Amino acid sequence: MNNYISYDWYRNAKMNSFPNMNLLAPKESYEKGNLFKDLYSQYKNYRPATLKPRNEQESKLYELSAIAFAAHELNLYLDLHPEDQSMLALFNDYRRKSNELTREYEEKYGPLNISSNSLDGNNFTWATDPWPWEGKNV
Amino acid sequence: MFSYNKRLQYPLNITKKDLRMAKYLVTQYGGSNGELGAALRYLNQRLTMPDDKGKALLTDIGTEELAHVEMLETMIYQLMKDATLEEIKEAGLDAHYAEHAKALFPTDASGVPFTTSYFATTGDPLADISEDMAAEQKARAVYENLIDLTDDPDVIGPLLWLRQREIVHYARFKELFEYYEKKLRNGNNEFADKAKQTFKYNNDDDIMLQQLHLDNNEFFM
Repeated sequence: MNNYISYDWYRNAKMNSFPNMNLLAPKESYEKGNLFKDLYSQYKNYRPATLKPRNEQESKLYELSAIAFAAHELNLYLDLHPEDQSMLALFNDYRRKSNELTREYEEKYGPLNISSNSLDGNNFTWATDPWPWEGKNV
Repeated sequence: MFSYNKRLQYPLNITKKDLRMAKYLVTQYGGSNGELGAALRYLNQRLTMPDDKGKALLTDIGTEELAHVEMLETMIYQLMKDATLEEIKEAGLDAHYAEHAKALFPTDASGVPFTTSYFATTGDPLADISEDMAAEQKARAVYENLIDLTDDPDVIGPLLWLRQREIVHYARFKELFEYYEKKLRNGNNEFADKAKQTFKYNNDDDIMLQQLHLDNNEFFM
C-alpha cells in the first residue's frame, strides 16, 4: 500500500529519464509540498513525512491528491507564464489524469464533488459519507 | 463562486490528543499570520490587480489558503476531540470552553479573536503584493515555531508541508512583484494591454521538457 502511485505510472510518465529537469515526480512533490525542485527548502534536519496509506481507499485518495497537487503547482506557475506551451501541455496531462482518478475514486468510494455522477442512485452519499476532518477516510 | 472538494489538500490523521498544541496551532487559523487572514487578503486584493497575472495568481493562491484553513481546523479538532473537562482546565483552555465548549473559534495563540485589521489593501499592486510576500514569510516563521513546539510526527508532517507551501507562494508573489516593479519602472503606470504583453519566458528551446511532454502524452492519451 505504501507505493500509492503505481510503478506503471512512474514508468509511463518516464519522470526519471529527465534528471536535469526542474520538476519532481508527483509522489515526491506531494510529500514535499512543492513540484519545482529549486523551490524546496528543508527546515533544520526535518524530512518530509512519508505518506503511508492504510488501505486501498487511502491509497487511491493519495494517488489522486498527488496528481491534483502537481496540476495545482503548474496552475500557479502558468498564472505567471500563460505562454509556456510545454508547461501548459504538462498541466493538461496532470489535469486529465487527476480527473480520471477522481472519477474512478468516486465510483468506488463516493463523491468528492457535488457534481459527481456517483450520486446517481438512491443514496445521497454526499451528506452521509464521512467528512474529511473526521479522519475516517482522509 | 466556490465549490467544495470533500477531501483535504494533504492528509491528516492525528490520533494523539494534545490540548497544549491545539492552543498554539489555532494562531495559524485565526492569528495575524494565519491562513484565514491569508485567504481573505488575497481574495480581497485580487479584484484590483492590474492584469491577468495578478488576478489569476491571487485567485488561485487565495483559494488554496481556504484549503489550508480547513487543514488547520481539522488539526485543532483532532487534537481536542477526546479531551475531558479536567484536561481542558489543566491546559488553560477553560476560558475557551466557557464560550465555545469544544467548538473551534479563530483566535491567535493568546485567545485574541480574528480581525480584518490583520490584512490590508491599498489598491497599489506593489504595496499589496509586497504585503503578501511578507505574509508568506511570517507564516513560514510561525510554522517553524510551531514545529519546534511538538514532537508528534502526525503534527510535524503536515506543519512541514504547510511551511513549504508558504515558501512556494512567497516565490510566486516575488516573481509577480518583480514583474510589476519592472513595468512601473518603465513608466508604464497604466498597465495597458498587460494581458497581451507577456514576460519573455520561453521554454520552447528546452528539448528535454518537450520530450517529457511527448512521453507523458503517449501515456495519457
